[in-house]
Amino acid sequence: MTGRKPGKAIAMISGGLDSTLALAMVRSQGVEVKAITFYTGFCITETQRRKGGRQDGSMPQNEALRAAADLDVDVEYVDLSGQAYLDMLLHPKYGYGANANPCVDCRIFMMKKAKEIMEREGADFVFTGEVLGQRPKSQRRDTLWAIEKQSGLQGRLVRPLSARLLEPSIPELEGILDREKLGSISGRGRARQIKMANEMGLLEWPQPAGGCCFLTDENFAKKFFDVIGQQEAAGQEKRLAQADIVLLTVGRHFRLSPTTKLIVGRTEVENGVLETYAEGRALLLAAHLNGPMGLVEGEPTWEERRLAAAIIARYGKGKDEQQVEIEWRDADGSVERFAVAPEQDEARIEAIRI
Amino acid sequence: MTQAAALPELPEPTLTLDTSGLLCPIPIVKTAAAMKGLAVGEVVKVIATDAGIATDMPMWCRATRHEHLATFQDGARWLSYVRKRGRGVSP
Repeated sequence: MTGRKPGKAIAMISGGLDSTLALAMVRSQGVEVKAITFYTGFCITETQRRKGGRQDGSMPQNEALRAAADLDVDVEYVDLSGQAYLDMLLHPKYGYGANANPCVDCRIFMMKKAKEIMEREGADFVFTGEVLGQRPKSQRRDTLWAIEKQSGLQGRLVRPLSARLLEPSIPELEGILDREKLGSISGRGRARQIKMANEMGLLEWPQPAGGCCFLTDENFAKKFFDVIGQQEAAGQEKRLAQADIVLLTVGRHFRLSPTTKLIVGRTEVENGVLETYAEGRALLLAAHLNGPMGLVEGEPTWEERRLAAAIIARYGKGKDEQQVEIEWRDADGSVERFAVAPEQDEARIEAIRI
Repeated sequence: MTQAAALPELPEPTLTLDTSGLLCPIPIVKTAAAMKGLAVGEVVKVIATDAGIATDMPMWCRATRHEHLATFQDGARWLSYVRKRGRGVSP
């Protein structure tokens, strides 16, 4: 590689095949690369860890860190999980995808942050592993352009895998990137990426698993829209705090009434998360038997307390007992114990499950 | 991840960072921020309760070229020791 202008770039990586390949492709042109990866609070890896690992018992690794380490690229973890991100999530200008995923707004949010980092680092451009037409909404040609424009990165946002199908970017025009060595991939297939990865000697990448974001999960979306739906129905302003988000990603959720909800831990790890976020909520558990913890949000009536306790008893070791003693630790610090019969009516449980 | 039984003698940390209760990757984000205030060669000890640090910290160190000294479980918590090096710094 000779005669090309030296450059520096910011790589947005998830550690998946596409972003890893884009990184390798740009770096092979002699461009200095700094990788950034975003933490939104909705990353599948962290969410799986909170649940105690994958269904097969394995514990997922952080693929962005792994990719940066394997490719020997400096990486910065950028925490986006603050209130501004949550406000975007509640009020997406471009709307939601199939579930609770406001992908276009989220990309714009991320690109704006990447632009700040590009300017701070004195870099020439930002690039991603996005592929034209790979996703139905956020990676259409018009949407890619809208994201580029809205983020203020016009001409400085490069999608190396599809670059030859898009307008030439500033780093291509300035001679930092050789357009002829960039990709012309489009669509959902991954055969070309896998072939290129093998040719470039990339050894490892995670299997595609429907994206890396929990917001695209159907079950999460039910819980998410349940919460904001109840707020809207009560005439309240839509709001979510970081603790609410963590709790939406763990446990079984039951709607006891429009204003009260029960969350039941499914694993020891989830019980630990519930305990960590118990402040301002009631925590309940079987007093003398192993089993799940439960968190109750809102101000339950006596009947709702009995029902929550009966559900906790049903999911614990005492499910076949006639009575199980439940310890109820209220948000104000008071502790009460009472016995309930484990809820045996599966239809009743399913009717209130979110 | 280094097992506690095979630990080398660990240096006295310049800074101890308690990230107990925070979920990964926030312990890594906070470690990265803390590193900016340390001089090359100084050591940070990170306390965490999220087991994800066992895999995240060694990989983050490998990518950023800080020196990962050890990460191990100590009862209910995890301890991680990292010496500031970084890119462009001779080992």
